[in-house]
Amino acid sequence: MRRVATRPARNLTDLLADVGLGPGNGDGSTTAASALDDLAALLDHRARRAAAIGGWTADEPLRLAKGTVGWLLRCPRRALAAPEGGMTDDLIAGIVIDAAAKLATLVPQRTPTVEAALAYLEATGDATVADHLADRGGPGALPSDVAARIDQLAGAWPAIDPGWWPRVEEPVRAVLAGGAVVVSGRLDVLLGGPPSPRPAVVVEVKAGRWHDGARADAHLYALLVAMRDDRPPAAVVTVVADGTTQVEPIRPAVLTAAADRVVHAMDVAADIAAGQPAPAHPGPHCGHCPLRPACPEGRAWHPDATDDALGSP
Amino acid sequence: VNDAVGAADRLIAAVTAGIDAALADAPAPVADVYVGWVAAAEAADCPARYRAAGEGGWGFPGWSAPTAAAAVGRAALDHHLHARDRGPAPSPADLPAPLEVVRDWIRAATVAGSPGVGGWMGDLRADGDAATLAATAGLATRWLAGFVRVLGWPLPAGLALLGVTRDDGASGAPRWWPAKGSPVTVACGADARLGRVTGAGGFVLVAHRVVSGDDGALRDRAAFEAAAGALAIGVAPGSVLITAGDTGDRVTVPVDDRLLSLGAERIVAVVAERVAAVERGFDPGDATPSAACRHCDHLADCPPGDAWMRGAGRWQGGLPVIPVIPVMLPNRASRFGA
Repeated sequence: MRRVATRPARNLTDLLADVGLGPGNGDGSTTAASALDDLAALLDHRARRAAAIGGWTADEPLRLAKGTVGWLLRCPRRALAAPEGGMTDDLIAGIVIDAAAKLATLVPQRTPTVEAALAYLEATGDATVADHLADRGGPGALPSDVAARIDQLAGAWPAIDPGWWPRVEEPVRAVLAGGAVVVSGRLDVLLGGPPSPRPAVVVEVKAGRWHDGARADAHLYALLVAMRDDRPPAAVVTVVADGTTQVEPIRPAVLTAAADRVVHAMDVAADIAAGQPAPAHPGPHCGHCPLRPACPEGRAWHPDATDDALGSP
Repeated sequence: VNDAVGAADRLIAAVTAGIDAALADAPAPVADVYVGWVAAAEAADCPARYRAAGEGGWGFPGWSAPTAAAAVGRAALDHHLHARDRGPAPSPADLPAPLEVVRDWIRAATVAGSPGVGGWMGDLRADGDAATLAATAGLATRWLAGFVRVLGWPLPAGLALLGVTRDDGASGAPRWWPAKGSPVTVACGADARLGRVTGAGGFVLVAHRVVSGDDGALRDRAAFEAAAGALAIGVAPGSVLITAGDTGDRVTVPVDDRLLSLGAERIVAVVAERVAAVERGFDPGDATPSAACRHCDHLADCPPGDAWMRGAGRWQGGLPVIPVIPVMLPNRASRFGA
């Protein structure tokens, strides 16, 4: 008999206990599949329209990831910043804490540490953190609270049953308009999903503070997993190193909203690719923007107390 | 291909002749030319960059978590299937839990000092290198999960994993050498074969990619694996199945003479570029600019690459790029200080 959850899951442990009960979970129904087909058709249609304006082809496609989508909607000019913008302490801490979460998934019998996370990153071939720290005198240059944040994360991380098919860094990609638009992502942790008998659960790890933009990232990943697997994930879980956990069941409306964001991002990108100037939408993000020195709107923007409180990490 | 054996024979003759001709032009002996899919793709993408790679870039870079992922994934899945072979046929209930299957293989089948990826993993265990073991297990798990997800479980009837060596020596990697003592090794990178090898051909080579590329790369990959497989097996495959973990796509590319010819060209081109590298290392005159220029060590010495970066390369991912003026980025001590 299938157990019925009596209250909404509040963390990853609760969620896995609630949804991992058998093949009846995860909406692989004909209705859900039909709704996904409709969303895929809509995205493909709008991608073709955007590609006609933007001039993208399968050889020279528009490539969208969560960051690009987010910035195209939030501040299109920021979306065009060259990637060599540099690393901040927050970004470095984020990579290390992500690595610790992956270690906790892969080696549940051992509590992750800063040292283990750094060694894991080096072993995967990711030299970003090592290079950054080498320029600053070594691991001692890491923000001092990283170890405590890893401890907090590890304390909240459940031992995941192997039947959940835990895997890390799983890439997902949707190819639209015959390859002229590619939307892709790399999931921190993915559990379940076909052909396992359990529903998919997307887990995203955030090193900083909770901010609402993290929800949109998670929704995009849910959409990509749903399109790839022909069934939506049961939930996306955002685990934040500050102790916050956001568990969001995936309803059709969530996927529709995620698809709307992709459509909007494609439209904005098409105008830019067609030669329209990229508008700037100043806000709290200006404080971190690598384009700010050359951006009149960004330079003119100044935080007040409210903005600072709402600023993204 | 109507005559699978005849097609393979013609291919062997053509590739041997092409390699012999390339080696005959060498001003000095060329040693250890390893022709796999990566070398074929790199030599075709930008001959100048490939030639400049030198000994360190031409050969196998050595085992690491990224290079071992597929090999470990295949070995672990083979270990699981081999254990099942001793009992009843695999059923849906035997669905492997990928991370556990990889762990089981690491515990049961890796021995320090033995050859191949099993020996490398055994060395890691002996050295207590937990980080590399974890990273490799993670990447191998991802490979294995994607392979099983795309092909389905139970795996298709008649599927045989390639590139794995069991203790009983039941299978190995498909390789071909043009002649005894030749410096050239051609390695087929297919992960599996569907169907038995008979003179009639018709079997399918399966190449699984964790991350898909564009359609051009897909056809090139199919051509290379079809040709390398036909050389190693002595029979041309009927088709090549290219799968992708990130999209879930399965694309079947039928093998015909044109595809085999394209694969043969790619193989011979690697040898020709290695021979050319004896006299000419990096020569920007042979550069083929592309998005790879962004990460090329030779960009500063490459006018075509530099010109591309100033033109088409100013766009990235379909959008124009605004250069960043180097400034000290804010950290938490001066959040709005830029």
